[in-house]
Amino acid sequence: MVPVFRLLLAAGLALLPLAARAADPSGEIVVMGYAGAFQDNYMKAVVEPFMAKYPAVKVLYSAGGNSAQMLGQLRAQKASPQVDVSIIDFSISRIGNAEGIYAPLDRAGVPNLADVLDEARMGAAPGGGEWGPAFDFDNLVLIYGDTVQPAPTGIKDLMNPANKGKIVFSAVPNVIGTSVQILTAKYLGMDYKAPIDPVIEALKKIGANVQTWQATPDNYTMIINGAAGIGVGWNARAQYYIDKSAGKLKSVVMQEGGVLDMDTVNLVAGARNATAAKAFIDYALSPEPQVRLAQLMYYGPTNRKAVLPPELLARTSSAPATLAKMIPVDWAYVASVLDQWTARWRREVIPAQ
Amino acid sequence: MRRSLPALLLAPAGAITFVAFLLPMGWLARLSLGRAAGGVLIDEVGLTNYVRFFSDRFYLGVLWRSVWVASSVAALAVLAAYPIALFLFRSRSRWRPLLAVLTIAPLLVSSVVRTFGWMIILGDHGWINGLLQAAGVIAAPVHLMNNVWGVLIGLTEILMPTTTLALLSGFARLDVAQEEAARSLGAPPWRCFLRITLPLTMPGIVVGALVTFVLAISSFVTPSLLGGGRVPLLASTIYEEALETLDWPFAAAVAVVLVMVFGLALVGYERLARRWQ
Repeated sequence: MVPVFRLLLAAGLALLPLAARAADPSGEIVVMGYAGAFQDNYMKAVVEPFMAKYPAVKVLYSAGGNSAQMLGQLRAQKASPQVDVSIIDFSISRIGNAEGIYAPLDRAGVPNLADVLDEARMGAAPGGGEWGPAFDFDNLVLIYGDTVQPAPTGIKDLMNPANKGKIVFSAVPNVIGTSVQILTAKYLGMDYKAPIDPVIEALKKIGANVQTWQATPDNYTMIINGAAGIGVGWNARAQYYIDKSAGKLKSVVMQEGGVLDMDTVNLVAGARNATAAKAFIDYALSPEPQVRLAQLMYYGPTNRKAVLPPELLARTSSAPATLAKMIPVDWAYVASVLDQWTARWRREVIPAQ
Repeated sequence: MRRSLPALLLAPAGAITFVAFLLPMGWLARLSLGRAAGGVLIDEVGLTNYVRFFSDRFYLGVLWRSVWVASSVAALAVLAAYPIALFLFRSRSRWRPLLAVLTIAPLLVSSVVRTFGWMIILGDHGWINGLLQAAGVIAAPVHLMNNVWGVLIGLTEILMPTTTLALLSGFARLDVAQEEAARSLGAPPWRCFLRITLPLTMPGIVVGALVTFVLAISSFVTPSLLGGGRVPLLASTIYEEALETLDWPFAAAVAVVLVMVFGLALVGYERLARRWQ
């Protein structure tokens, strides 16, 4: 017994300095985010430089599916979270915040919160602190193949019967479908909060032109390989694919304007390594990795101190000319009516032929 | 000891079924009594989701469409696979093992990959439309995909190998001697088929149809890709509610409805199987 006791004592003493330095981030954290090109670029722009800055922390990147699928995984693990940091679309993080899946952040633990633009904030938590903010901006664009003539400019082209079978985009409740509905209301000269019957009538004309609501593998690729002509997508991915396809894909902000989208970075409630997770979130919100993410993926930074060179800025959603075309959306209102919008789309817009 | 032996032998399988099937089904049923608003879960106990499903013509339409699509696929697959299964069962050729392997070989390729193959064949600019247009049969492409036709064609082909295996498993009672007896007594081939072969292979047909129906009604990838999202079925509704609107309680309720459809199909099978025994 005595040697065992000694061993335990020695181990306890050896751990003392570690305990004293508990505030220093160390150990392992799991960051869950999008797969594919996002993962490749996020590793280079954020995860690897973070690990170089904090050698005591090991980051495991867990590639999830879409935002709703990732929130589903977190929901299933709520009793025993396996993920520390969650990267997710702002429209879904709102649900995670409401369900207590995410924990609020404060400026003491995450100093870079102070420099986050107000547009990127997800609001104050009821018990103090604020919800995980956005680390990037993106904007809705019309995407089309370089052979499409005349080049589409907005909602009227999506409604044009000449484009039947050529259009691809994701339906409501996806943010793309939701944004198309908001822009269609604008095209009709209406407020998107007004009764939606006239908008649904217009959307049915768009729905009849849609080739498939299940673009495979995605809208961008279908247009690049000629299977579809026109789509609605996000600027950052469009810019990325414009480079990859040597100009086969083109993109433009619609005449009616655009809608800003954001990806948020969140601390999972009950995270096993909250100290390192907060250090990671703080790093993700700092200027340097946001500039690198813009260079690799054309995401607009949310840190006011992140400065992009003019030619890069022009291709992100943070370009002043692009920002000027964005229309403000009350997402809390949209969330409150999304179930009704979804029901109308499933019954009337999606089956339209 | 002797009495407890069967129970002991059944215990491992029973435990696995309980932990991996009955318990999750219980949770699913409990979850289906809750509610979600705007994707946010609200812990309640009530029948809201079932009332919503059975009082809404849209969802009743989804239920009806699922049943008729799965029944049609089962009928088409049995029709297409029956001659193949019969040939394989009867064949004395030395190539028989090879033919059997060829019949079930498509099972070695993922159904997702085979669905992609069908997308290339059925698309507006696909092989079928290309051939028909080149031959001057049609002027504009016929829409074979992104509608219910694509789902029927794709699911039938994708499930056919399984249907063939199920048919073969039920052909045990088919005795060539009885067919020969009928023929030697002067029955023409069609009467021999209707009076001898068909009744003797009926157990296979019933099993084949049941297995295909159950697989078709629970299929998700093929209907959503070949249906272009325009053919709402029970399985795709569960997916949308669980992973798009995040309304897990309603998704759970639809899943329970799907299990009830399985139950009804099994009851129907029991009745038919008893009749053809």
